Amino acid sequence: MIEIRNIYKSFDQKEVIRNISKIFNQGQTNLIIGRSGSGKTVLLKSIVGLYEVDKGQILYDNRDFTSMSSKFRKHLRQEMGMVFQGGALFDSLTVEQNIRFPLDMFSLLSPHEKQKQVDFCLERVNIRDANKLYPSEISGGMQKRVAIARAIVMNPKYLFCDEPNSGLDPETSMVIDELIHSITVDLQITTIINTHDMNSVMEIGDNILFISEGEMCWEGNRKEVLYAENHKLQEFVFANKQYQKIRDEKMEGK
Amino acid sequence: MNILNLTGRYFALMFRVFSKPERHSLYIRQTFNEIENLGVKSVGIVAVISLFMGGIMTLQVAYNMTNPLLPTSLIGLGNRDSLILEFSSTIMGLIMAGKIGSNITSEIGSMKVTEQIDSLEIMGVNSAGYLILPKIIAVVLMFPFLYILSVFFGIIGGMIVGPAVGAVTLTDYLNGIQYSFNPYYVTFSLIKCLVFGFLIASIASFFGYTVEGGAFDVGTASTRAVVNTNIMILVSDLILTQLLL
Repeated sequence: MIEIRNIYKSFDQKEVIRNISKIFNQGQTNLIIGRSGSGKTVLLKSIVGLYEVDKGQILYDNRDFTSMSSKFRKHLRQEMGMVFQGGALFDSLTVEQNIRFPLDMFSLLSPHEKQKQVDFCLERVNIRDANKLYPSEISGGMQKRVAIARAIVMNPKYLFCDEPNSGLDPETSMVIDELIHSITVDLQITTIINTHDMNSVMEIGDNILFISEGEMCWEGNRKEVLYAENHKLQEFVFANKQYQKIRDEKMEGK
Repeated sequence: MNILNLTGRYFALMFRVFSKPERHSLYIRQTFNEIENLGVKSVGIVAVISLFMGGIMTLQVAYNMTNPLLPTSLIGLGNRDSLILEFSSTIMGLIMAGKIGSNITSEIGSMKVTEQIDSLEIMGVNSAGYLILPKIIAVVLMFPFLYILSVFFGIIGGMIVGPAVGAVTLTDYLNGIQYSFNPYYVTFSLIKCLVFGFLIASIASFFGYTVEGGAFDVGTASTRAVVNTNIMILVSDLILTQLLL
């Protein structure tokens, strides 16, 4: 479980995140949603410690990340996995080397055990016959799956995904969503996903935080999101008329 | 203020670079990769440039030796000492700042803007140490070898061009390069090479690591890295020459 309490973050005196508190549950896909520029990425990067928050607390299973020394943070980070918007795979390493990298750096497993773990992760994300290829030689969807495999290779307790579907076609996006969701449930990890993709929200949004202009506007789950009375959330959700139609149909059905 | 800010950030980064590595074996493997990428792959250009530099130096010295009382063997001597003292260390440093420096800045800068550095940080890796330390060690280790190669090819260049254009006989040239040799000149230049190697790798890495934005900013950072490295090489050359000669 990850808990954030009254988080504030600003850049050059411009407040980007204001007073956000939320509990992200274990074994659920927790989504942070909002328009582009609403502060989602800053919030996610603040939670993982890539940005230092100005005020507030971030607790990883009651361990206070904000007041932790860099030495303890380093240890805690080995319990985290992150999938970046562009995949962030290392260009100079093959698919297999990319996934094995965290193991080479931190684990004391034998080469055979490392290989087994890499093969398990590759299988988990449905990648075959691409071990020796470089990131530039595989498709965008495949890169995202490799990034997920790398993120889970150390058996993390916390998984973070920054817009995992950006730049992908709807079908591949769905595959990625389902993959992240099943990994979250199977491995019982705490997953936080940043997205503005409403399909993802409706498919895997167990626990949703909607932010607008750096402020928390609404929280709930995918069943509630279409019927929420929040004006800003409605603007965001019903920007796609299809969801307006779905809502109207369901309301009429009631 | 901007210079103070840059200097402070540079030293803060170097502090992180020289902190304890997470896994020594990976750093060592990375260092060997960098020795190949940055050092061994520079041998070709060093050889070609030095060959021409030695040839041109020989012609220049011969052209300026108008006094018939001076022996032509001084052409070989002039070429040798110019190469050992300044050309093979400083000029090669400036050229390497362009080749190796821009390579390092664009590599690290690209990793920065594509979030690969963030990805290392999330894993708990000291990205500054893992990416920069092997490069610094590789360049500092390889630069003296490149210097020695440069002197060798420079002298060969003079030996080919001098007799070929009739500026000096082969015997006089060979006598000249063996005349009044002071080994301290080599020691002095090797010390300079270590300093230049460190400056090239660390300044280029700094500009790459601190880049913000996209591909355009990586290009700008590469240019800034090369310009600043060249200035620092010349400043340190001046200081070391005053201190050590």
